[in-house]
Amino acid sequence: MKLYCLSGHPTLPCNVLKFKSTTIMLDCGLDTTAALYFLPLPLVHSPRLSKLPGWVSKDGAINLEKKELLDLSTIDVILISNYHCMMALPYITEHTGFTGTVYATEPTLQIGRLLMEELVTFMERVPKAQAATCWKNKEIQRLLPGPLKDAVDVWSWRKCYSVQEVNSALSKVQLVGYSQKVELFGAVQVTPLSSGYSLGSSNWIIQSHYEKVSYVSGSSLLTTHPQPMEQSSLKNSDVLILTGLTQIPTANPDGMLGEFCSNLSMTIRAGGNVLVPCYSSGVIYDLLECLYQFMDSANLGSTPFYFISPVANSSLEFSQIFAEWLCQNKQSKVYLPEPPFPHAELIQTNKLKHYPSIHGDFSSEFRQPCVVFTGHPSLRFGDVVHFMELWGKSSLNTIIFTEPDFSYLDALAPYQPLAMKCVYCPIDTRLNFHQVSKLLKDIQPLHVVCPEPYTQPPPAQPHRSDLMLELQPPPMSYRRCSVLGLPFRRRYERIHLLPELARSLVPSEIKAGVSVATVSAVLQSKDNKHVLQPVPKPAPVPPSKKRKRVMEEPPEVLNPKPLLSGAVPLEPFLAMLHKNGITEVKVEETADGHILHLQTEDVLIQLEEDATHIICDHNEPLRTALRDLVLRFLQKL
Amino acid sequence: MDSDCLSLLPAVCLVLADPKQSPPDDTSLEKLLDWFKELHSQSNGQVLLQHQPCQPCLLEFISSVCTSKTTDPAILSFTIKLTGLLAATTQGFHLLDEGGLLVYVFEREAWGVCDLWEDASVRSGWLQGLLDMLKHQQALGFICGNGLIKVILQLQNDRSLFVACLANQLLVHILNFLTSSNMTSGSDVVGSSESSLRPDWVSVSSEIMNAVVEALSSEDCPQVLQGLRLLSLVLSQCGEPILSTLWKDVLVPLEVLVNRGSESLIQTLITVLEAALGTPLLNQSEYKVEELLEAMLGDGNRKECFQCAALIVKLEKCPEVLKRKAMDIILLPLQCVSTQPQAEKEMNVVLKEQLSQKASCISLLMQSLSSLAQLAHTKYLFEDISIHSITSSVVLLLRMCSGHRPSSLLHINAFTHLIGCCKVQRCGLDTLGALSVYEEKLDLRKDIFGVLLDYLQSPDSHATVLKKTFQAVKRWIVCSPFPDLLQFISHDLFPVLEKRMCDLRWEVRDSTLEFITQLTAALNGNSGFSEALHTSGVVSVLLSSLADAEGYVRASAVTAVGEAVTASLYQTVLVSNSKLLEEALVQMMAILSQDTEGFPRRAVVQAFTSWLKGSHLITALESSLSSVLSLGGSDFDWEVKMHTLELAEVLMEKTLTCCPYAVQNFGSSEETRFTQALIKLKDFGLFDLLFNSLFDCDRPVCEKACALLVKLRTLTAETADLDHSVLVLNVCGNRWGDEVQRRYLNKQQAKASGCVTNGVTGSDEGTDCDLHCSKDISLPKILQILDLDDMQRMLTLSSDHVVNSPRSLMEDILSAAQQNEENIVDCY
Repeated sequence: MKLYCLSGHPTLPCNVLKFKSTTIMLDCGLDTTAALYFLPLPLVHSPRLSKLPGWVSKDGAINLEKKELLDLSTIDVILISNYHCMMALPYITEHTGFTGTVYATEPTLQIGRLLMEELVTFMERVPKAQAATCWKNKEIQRLLPGPLKDAVDVWSWRKCYSVQEVNSALSKVQLVGYSQKVELFGAVQVTPLSSGYSLGSSNWIIQSHYEKVSYVSGSSLLTTHPQPMEQSSLKNSDVLILTGLTQIPTANPDGMLGEFCSNLSMTIRAGGNVLVPCYSSGVIYDLLECLYQFMDSANLGSTPFYFISPVANSSLEFSQIFAEWLCQNKQSKVYLPEPPFPHAELIQTNKLKHYPSIHGDFSSEFRQPCVVFTGHPSLRFGDVVHFMELWGKSSLNTIIFTEPDFSYLDALAPYQPLAMKCVYCPIDTRLNFHQVSKLLKDIQPLHVVCPEPYTQPPPAQPHRSDLMLELQPPPMSYRRCSVLGLPFRRRYERIHLLPELARSLVPSEIKAGVSVATVSAVLQSKDNKHVLQPVPKPAPVPPSKKRKRVMEEPPEVLNPKPLLSGAVPLEPFLAMLHKNGITEVKVEETADGHILHLQTEDVLIQLEEDATHIICDHNEPLRTALRDLVLRFLQKL
Repeated sequence: MDSDCLSLLPAVCLVLADPKQSPPDDTSLEKLLDWFKELHSQSNGQVLLQHQPCQPCLLEFISSVCTSKTTDPAILSFTIKLTGLLAATTQGFHLLDEGGLLVYVFEREAWGVCDLWEDASVRSGWLQGLLDMLKHQQALGFICGNGLIKVILQLQNDRSLFVACLANQLLVHILNFLTSSNMTSGSDVVGSSESSLRPDWVSVSSEIMNAVVEALSSEDCPQVLQGLRLLSLVLSQCGEPILSTLWKDVLVPLEVLVNRGSESLIQTLITVLEAALGTPLLNQSEYKVEELLEAMLGDGNRKECFQCAALIVKLEKCPEVLKRKAMDIILLPLQCVSTQPQAEKEMNVVLKEQLSQKASCISLLMQSLSSLAQLAHTKYLFEDISIHSITSSVVLLLRMCSGHRPSSLLHINAFTHLIGCCKVQRCGLDTLGALSVYEEKLDLRKDIFGVLLDYLQSPDSHATVLKKTFQAVKRWIVCSPFPDLLQFISHDLFPVLEKRMCDLRWEVRDSTLEFITQLTAALNGNSGFSEALHTSGVVSVLLSSLADAEGYVRASAVTAVGEAVTASLYQTVLVSNSKLLEEALVQMMAILSQDTEGFPRRAVVQAFTSWLKGSHLITALESSLSSVLSLGGSDFDWEVKMHTLELAEVLMEKTLTCCPYAVQNFGSSEETRFTQALIKLKDFGLFDLLFNSLFDCDRPVCEKACALLVKLRTLTAETADLDHSVLVLNVCGNRWGDEVQRRYLNKQQAKASGCVTNGVTGSDEGTDCDLHCSKDISLPKILQILDLDDMQRMLTLSSDHVVNSPRSLMEDILSAAQQNEENIVDCY
């Protein structure tokens, strides 16, 4: 069993598991941090940005996982754990010869589609400069300014995919529900379990009859909107692959949410605007819910909230229809019937308004001071670029970063100098190290596999030994391009016995509770299923023509020799020898048993735990006699 | 009253002694006993014993209860206590003794039902009876003569804690009694030697003392504990010669106990030693008090020594050397966790082990911190240890709790235990606040304010931790204003406070507002501060907090705004002041008239009161005062009404009492000034408020209003030439007016009929005698009509004064018994 690690990013994993003749890809996250090397793409011409010294080159900004490690066309299935971890799907399904199936839950597919479409729209609606790749040449790159010359793996950066590619990729997705068992070629069974992180997010169990691998990716134990995490099914795993822990282990989501609200309300009270760069699904639902409760107490009643994204409307509406994927408390609202999320009420009362873009209705209805939620969190593309240009100059305004995926200082770099206040409250609800160690103590996997960063304290806080995994035995760690041999051997395989064969067995009890029978059968293996069938009867005495073939019948027609069991006890055996006239016996004790030297006959009998040897040269009758004596003490099957 | 009750007593006794009756509840019996006690102490036992129908019936009652086969335990317990009470005088004692009743009562073998002893209330009644009786030598003789001492000693280990405790008290009382003046044998013997005890009493005292020694040497922990408790009682309540005799005897077993160091005994052992510290034993080295305490500490290498040290540090009379040693020990955990390990000093193994476990590490650190805080409260002078290093340890510890690791390598295990630990954070902040008394010795202000600011800024700080942080910040700011204080406040503190006032948690918003209030009040008069306050954004956030969703927060915001307005008076630039006051008044009046919760409304009235007290503001407030008085007076919440009356009181004081330095209007006499003041009060609606409140449904409100009216009456009476005609109140159409009119008419009628019967036709008061309803009556007149003194007397009586008398108690008992009979009749 092997694990190929195609991504070193702990929260955007991409691993391939080879297990029992199947090749399973676990997630395919897309690392877009390379976008930070590019200048923002303004929707409206920005004299300031265009004057900045920069390199004009628009390749899109994509960091694709290493694929030289194995042939992606051999992948049988891809298991997706949440919509953030599927953003690279088109790169894998479209140009690699992939012919397999992708498994994901419905919300994951739908919201993943929204996020991909949003990304494509963001990219396609700004005029594209010529694609340039020459600069990626090491010789030229070395001469480039600033951080660009230090960028690594620039050759793996890819142009953004197109809508067609998205559609084609997503057409390969097969929907699954939580706890649904999916058979892969009869060899393994995969099951998604609720992971509590986002709508439809799942952990996966990959098991055969005797082995169980759990894949935990992006899970949360906090009570937010999704269904809570299912933990008990993860018990008794041989291997647990652990990815997607919180990226900001020192920031407690509750505290950050509080920080978010108080900074927001402080800015609004002072007459400023608040900009929240965020993804169009996920934490934004919780932010809206929290603000819904907070608005009245903070006197924000009349302040408008704007949510601007090409998929804003779909995102808000999708969230309301996936009731079965929500936490209990939200599910029960559906029966009242009420919308599960309070943002429906915010929309109804006109407190929250959503627009596909800053053009059109928004520009006429826009009112300040206000709160704007918009993408993309990297501040390199999307409508957020416009608001940065618009509000950056006033110190009354505040930008609040809630997504933990990008360094906020890097994201802000091209906008400097900036007068607006910046607040960093990353909200990452994924498991923290404390919760993980509790979880692992509970589910007790035999081996844990995790990305290398989890085995040491964060580089910025080398002393925080509490912010790493400390396990016994220590976890196996991987980095990008690692190939791990998973540390367990397959020892058993399940074989079915046909009833007629079973009926023919004659078990004999060799000790209390244990019976043994010999089986003679034909083993048939098909579709990774193994069946023992009765030996076909020799054909009825055939007409002469077929005689030749009868001779070719397999040898199992012969009765096998009986199997022996039991041990030869020394004292009774000596007595037996004595009785049979062998009196001069010298007994020597060895590590495994005894050696009996029959001195007159010059014969050696070695009695060992699992073997008995009679060494007797040129005296076949004596050997046979001795053998029969030995056999008297043993049971035959 | 008492004679009424005494006449009821025989019947009550019959009911109580009747086994068919279910006994009244415990509280009735207790109350009855209280009444007996009071009666007995007033008359020195004469009434009960000499009152004819009572004395025999009481004796009869006692004997019947004791001999009855079906007595209820509660009644028996009551009877024993009553007997003890009666026997407290020699006369009573003899009376009971002659009838053989004493033996009946206190000898349990003589009771009708012996099993009743199993009931704890009976045993405790028995002890209480003896305790009450033990006022004279005969009583002691009775106790000793009948071998009751042995029983008491047994009860010392009773399974009921109350009984055991009472037994201990009784034993101490006996010991004390033995040495008291009326027991010493000869009047000529002075001094405190044992010889002063009469020989027959010596055996009693030694019996008790031997029991103590025996208990202390016992292997049974509860018995040891009881022995130690008795010992500490003796030490704190008895004098010589008991003290030294007993101490000599217990010293050996005590030493054994101390050296054994059992965890469950530590607290009690320390209590014993603490009691010993307060006695003359301390100064005599042969009594080894100090030595024992020192032995409790051991060499600091036992698990228990930290608990001992924490207790010893708290002792008041502890010798200095010992205290210092205990302090060294109790500060060890703190120092170990937050200072570098010194190479030459091997770390205590026990401590190391304890610090490596989370639970014990936290409890040790908390003990350490709270002991330190306690020492700081007494302004203890640290000599061997530098307060500077201790304080920086506390600061470091607080930093560790919020996840900062010190630069040098320390006790790494402890560090992970501490991250985010609220308990240690709270305790540490308390201690840091307490350490502000050493401010002048410390040069750590930057570090301290740094860590406090970190806590205020951290999004993970728990609401309770923030509250403690605010307290600590306040203490450090107030202890001595430093040069950069204003800089710190406006640049560092205010931005955090603004954010915290917008916090998600209402508790945090509330404590932030409280902190601002306290800070503003503490820095009252500091013009720099008020300028910083008013030029920052804090005030505008304060004003918007008045509309918070949480009632408590609104209330705190009202108080904070009130304080901010007061502070604005010290500001040199007055431009924004009137605006602030104006805005504050609008919002506060809205709260007072519309808020659905009581707290904010109370706060508004209180804010007005404090503004009035400040006196600068009266003119600015005048326009709102009458609305405040009328709204506050008609509030649903009685506390709002009370606060409104307090406001009225201040207003009266300010308006009526003449300010000696104020420039008097030329030509205005004292009288006219007073009249004008009253007119002003009338315009404010103050009199309406007072009269309305006088007939309020809440007693405290009436009481307060009555007191104010009495004050007003005195003032008006003092001013002879008051012009009544200008102070006329309309008494029609409101509740108090109707009441006044009714009384007015009643008085007139009485006067009129008086006039007729006296045969005097004329009236000296002219037109006042006609019986017509009068619409307008002058204020002094109303004050006369209302019988304020009588009303005040009635109001001061508590509301249950009628039902709380012994008479009603007895009637209750009787009627309950009667009811019982009726019920039986009903049933069959």
